Amino acid sequence: MRRILSSVTDGRGFDILLVSITMIFLLALSGMPLVYNVVMSFQEVDMFNLNTFSRPYAGLENYREVVSQPEFGLILKNTAFFVFGSIAGQFVLGFALAMFFMMRFPFAATIRGVFLVSWVMPGLVVGALWGWILAGDFGVLNAILKGIGVIDSTMFWKSDPRLSIWAVTIANIWLGLAFNMMLLSVGLAAIPRDLYEAAELDGANGWHRFTTMTLPMMRSTIGAVLALGLIYTLQQFDLFPAITEGGPANSSNVAQYWAWQYSFLLFDFAKGATVSVMMLGFVLIASIVYVWSTRHEVRG
Amino acid sequence: MTPQIEIASVDKHYGAYHALKDINLTIPRGAFTALVGPSGCGKSTLLRSIAGLESITSGNLRIAGTEMSGVPPRKRDVAMVFQSYALYPHMNVLGNLTYSLRFKGFNKEQARKKADEVAQVIGLTELLERYPRELSGGQRQRVAMGRAIICEPKAFLFDEPLSNLDAALRVHMRMEIRALHDRLGATSVYVTHDQVEAMTMADHVVVMRAGVIEQQGAPLELYDNPANKFVAGFIGSPAMNFLDATVAEDGRSARLEIAGKPVLPLARTLQPGREVTVGLRPEHLRIDTAAPRLQVPVRVVESTGSLTYSTTETEPELMIVEQGRGRYRAGETLPLTIAPEDIHLFDPTSGTAL
Ligand SMILES: Nc1ncnc2c1ncn2[C@@H]1O[C@H](COP(=O)(O)OP(=O)(O)O)[C@@H](O)[C@H]1O
Ligand SMILES: [Mg+2]
Repeated sequence: MRRILSSVTDGRGFDILLVSITMIFLLALSGMPLVYNVVMSFQEVDMFNLNTFSRPYAGLENYREVVSQPEFGLILKNTAFFVFGSIAGQFVLGFALAMFFMMRFPFAATIRGVFLVSWVMPGLVVGALWGWILAGDFGVLNAILKGIGVIDSTMFWKSDPRLSIWAVTIANIWLGLAFNMMLLSVGLAAIPRDLYEAAELDGANGWHRFTTMTLPMMRSTIGAVLALGLIYTLQQFDLFPAITEGGPANSSNVAQYWAWQYSFLLFDFAKGATVSVMMLGFVLIASIVYVWSTRHEVRG
Repeated sequence: MTPQIEIASVDKHYGAYHALKDINLTIPRGAFTALVGPSGCGKSTLLRSIAGLESITSGNLRIAGTEMSGVPPRKRDVAMVFQSYALYPHMNVLGNLTYSLRFKGFNKEQARKKADEVAQVIGLTELLERYPRELSGGQRQRVAMGRAIICEPKAFLFDEPLSNLDAALRVHMRMEIRALHDRLGATSVYVTHDQVEAMTMADHVVVMRAGVIEQQGAPLELYDNPANKFVAGFIGSPAMNFLDATVAEDGRSARLEIAGKPVLPLARTLQPGREVTVGLRPEHLRIDTAAPRLQVPVRVVESTGSLTYSTTETEPELMIVEQGRGRYRAGETLPLTIAPEDIHLFDPTSGTAL
């Protein structure tokens, strides 16, 4: 009895206990729904067999139907635009801001803290906010762009099919900017200053120092930031109902919103599951790339 | 000798803090100069000002005859060895060595050839493919040295390069750095807080305190003729003993303010009754049973076999260094004497040597 007890308190038993709690939690709340989702994408689901497990096997029928939808190509393109546009925008601007705040000017830390506001705000609120900013007739963005002479006529960000995907992407860049900046700031702060000094004395100018010191030293941070950016962007849902509702005519619709529309507007749960399984494949590939790219840690 | 680095009336402020005060220093080409002083005295600031990593507030700095104001570090053609070594962790030894060459128009083969030469000189040939994290402290130190010498700079700047090494390796690297300096005919500026390092390595020692150069000169010149009490106490190990004293009526001897008021003859004449600070080096106090000048009780005796350190019971206490194992034990009384010319005298208020 004492052996068992002591193995729980200070032996391997305790480790196993901790790990199993986590594993059970993960399996029950993530693993099961995931598997269920995958299973459902291979079944015929309707309102009558929704509450049973044994549904008719559909093979790849759901996939075939999803792919042959007329809006499939457009949504694929939009998703790619939204994901890559958001990540690129968040990352480049976040990196620039992080570097900017590394310069020690008065109140740098305070101002950087203020940027976190965008991160703590719920997506729906951000969506509403950007909804107003981007509004055609009375929106602030149009007023500014007109004021500085970039545009002459009113831009209908939310209702022009050529602009609507830009509207959600811009809002999402703003939403993820602070997160990117914070993670990248931490990475930058971890690079010893004397490396830059040594490089400078070795003859490296600012650009050389950035490409040969900052970027390689930041490799694992950058990998993590990009991977997390991808995940958060694919999860981003709130902005769509708040700004464009995927419209007009699917011009700003993306896979995650489409999956939701299938399941909860059209109650076609099988197709909703199918779309999300396709997204899952996409995330998996990205995760593998991420793990591969950060396989050796730089700092030793 | 041609001056390689000329520093004239240099001041440096960090905001309200005056870190360097009117520094004047000329470093001849080929010289090994040590900047030494207690922590926080501004040694690193001066060295980094030479490198251009800190900007000087006023004054002039010339390297090889060229005024350096407005010249960025990368155009100054100086190399620095950092206390942390600052090796590039994401590059192997070869990459670290050849990093500077890529900005000097070397192609891959030329850089490789040059790196091989340098690796030969500092004994790194076997390690070129290793990463810094796979090296020992001494090996990292060598890579840092190699990185400095590969670009044949106008001056080598060292900022406490040995302080992360263990004692034995430190003594060894001391000699190696000096030998390398001589072999390359380089100009070196070496910052350390360890006066032994400064004394043993340098041709010219600059003693700093609180942003001021207290004295500069050849190592033994500083030992023999310290300009003030600070330098006298800083140079030499164990440190010089200081005692308050009064010049006796004859003006040629000093009465020490310790128990028994012993009188020491001086090598010169001073105004009778004048108060002075007397400096006695531990190694100059000799045991003399025949005609002792002062008799002091011993409190602690420590011996290394070759040297014996005795600390006295007096107030203030004195330190005496004796060759060999030492004949006296704690509790006994030491009969001591000192040659008049070995006695240092300082003004008690200003600390200046008399
Ligand atoms: N960047 C800085 N800002 C303000 N004060 C500094 C800075 N760098 C050094 N100092 C101050 O200048 C003095 C000299 O520093 P330093 O040259 O590093 O001394 P050391 O002789 O130990 O190398 C110290 O009192 C230090 O606190
Ligand atoms: Mg220092």
